[in-house]
Amino acid sequence: MVNSAHSEHMHRKPCIWTEADLKGCSDMELEASGVTVRFGGIRAVENVSLRFGIHEIVGLIGPNGAGKTTLVNALSGFQKPRSGRICLAGKDVTGWRSDALARHGVARTFQAVRLFRGLTVAENIETALLSTGLARSAARARARDILGYLHLSNRADTLASGLNYGDERRVGIARALAMEPKFLLLDEPAAGLNIGEAEELGQTIASIRDDFGCGILVIEHNMALVMKLCERLHVLATGMTLATGTPTEVMADPAFKDAYLGAET
Amino acid sequence: MTRQDTSANETTWQLMSWERLERLVPLLILVAVVAGIMLLASQFGIVQQRRVTLGFISLISVVGLYVFMGNSGVLNFSSVGFMAIGAYVSALLTMRPQVKATFLRDLPDWLAAAQFDPITGALAGGAAAALVALVVGLPIMRLSGIGAGIATLSILIIFYIVLGNWTGVTGGQRSLMGLPTYVTIWNAGLAAIGAIVLAFVYQESRSCLALRASREDEVAARSAGVRVVRERLTAFVLGAFICGIAGVFYGHFLGTLRVENFYLDPTFLYITMLVVGGMRSLTGAVVGVIVISTLAELLRLLEIGGRLPALDVTLKAPAGLGDVVLAALMLGIILFRPQGITGGREITLRGMRG
Ligand SMILES: Nc1ncnc2c1ncn2[C@@H]1O[C@H](COP(=O)(O)OP(=O)(O)OP(=O)(O)O)[C@@H](O)[C@H]1O
Ligand SMILES: [Mg+2]
Repeated sequence: MVNSAHSEHMHRKPCIWTEADLKGCSDMELEASGVTVRFGGIRAVENVSLRFGIHEIVGLIGPNGAGKTTLVNALSGFQKPRSGRICLAGKDVTGWRSDALARHGVARTFQAVRLFRGLTVAENIETALLSTGLARSAARARARDILGYLHLSNRADTLASGLNYGDERRVGIARALAMEPKFLLLDEPAAGLNIGEAEELGQTIASIRDDFGCGILVIEHNMALVMKLCERLHVLATGMTLATGTPTEVMADPAFKDAYLGAET
Repeated sequence: MTRQDTSANETTWQLMSWERLERLVPLLILVAVVAGIMLLASQFGIVQQRRVTLGFISLISVVGLYVFMGNSGVLNFSSVGFMAIGAYVSALLTMRPQVKATFLRDLPDWLAAAQFDPITGALAGGAAAALVALVVGLPIMRLSGIGAGIATLSILIIFYIVLGNWTGVTGGQRSLMGLPTYVTIWNAGLAAIGAIVLAFVYQESRSCLALRASREDEVAARSAGVRVVRERLTAFVLGAFICGIAGVFYGHFLGTLRVENFYLDPTFLYITMLVVGGMRSLTGAVVGVIVISTLAELLRLLEIGGRLPALDVTLKAPAGLGDVVLAALMLGIILFRPQGITGGREITLRGMRG
């Protein structure tokens, strides 16, 4: 599965700026094209184009303040771009409300997790499931399945406010998975986890792609995890695209080495 | 399917239905408490019965307030305005035509001549409040925090001014008298139970779960596909209906309507009740009404002055003590127990549930 997805992506990799842009993204893609977001004078995201398909895991990396979260906000409808377009499965969805995009297959997690703290873990998941139109009993059963999948079964009836950090992050992912996403956007899922936990999470993310058949865009600072997990990377710095390509290509890119690794080390 | 599978299935089924029953426990306890108070109070004299009836009317209104404010977490000062709408609509529909002719000269002919039965009047009062809530709610349901507070307070003020100056229809600044006084401890108690059932059924619905999620985190709720404005509006309209019914009972309890009765004093009284009880649970709404009503009654008696015959001393509190104590209680709760007496949980056989 991983292999086939990989070769598929190799196949489609050169699709950065081709004639496809004129007719929009394909059925299986989520795309930002020429997206610009500014906050007052701050150029948070400047003319960034990125697209990924439903069997890809793409890493979105860059130093703090590079605009990664802002780009994810734009892709998920939480931030209206000042210019540029967002395209979902061949449809222009620029300006769609975030809840509508979520129901149409673009799910996300948050850097700050943002669980429904006063609700139980199961209710956190059921809320998402019910908004996709599931019946109550079906939602309850499905929530149990998803929690089992993420090894959270014994947490179902705890209040979200009572979770430890690692569980909290996994519940965040579970809630996004409950949306039956075609595209899953993960904002620093491994932040605050120890090495072992981060590794485990990496495996979970890889298996989510296979088991749920969705494309994953993951923001991550942990380079070891990124290198292992992602088939393709998109590097942002000060709001602009610095480099794109396979992890090996990006690591070899002089611009990346200068700006990113140079700044980090 | 093997025998074992079947029995396993049966156990699951039994578990599920037991779970379902267990979810009903808070409702059953609350209904039993209200019914108990109703039966107990009916053994006392008419004065005590009227105090308890008034308490039931407060209970209906606070439950209506809870439906929106408790589940959405959005501040709402307008609920008493919807009581007013319910009260006036029911009054206009149920008063005798001769009485209307004396007080209200400018009614349209059909309304001046009409007299409906109390139930039609009550339902129309609730429906009118709900309809108005739908219209005014649409633009303001995207607000939260201070914005929502200011917007709903503005709505209350607008209702107050319109009702106070629409002399031909409401009697304006004068009192509107001659409402049929059909309210008893029995029908007020039953209406309170009805309001509790309605609020409970809503609270168990998928719509309310989505609303509670938005209360916990609006942004995250949107990411989970929740249509925040729509869910808020649903609760706002249902809450306004219940408040409208409370207004109907209030009007037909007193027999006289004055716009002053639907302004700031009751607004803050009801909010105090909800906050003190714990605004995140239906149990909190009920407990708040019981605690504050009881306390207010005791303080009122103290202000009047009473003799303790056993000790042969006379107790007399300074005037205004009641309001000061209620305000201090509200302050204390907000400072030291922000989730209220119930901590925002529902009551169960084992205690309080999250
Ligand atoms: N709502 C906002 N209002 C004003 N400025 C903002 C807002 N959100 C982000 N910014 C600014 O935009 C820039 C990009 O921020 P963003 O959060 O997208 O960075 P990031 O790459 O996710 O960083 P990090 O790795 O720290 O999460 C930063 O300079 C940030 O201060
Ligand atoms: Mg970020």
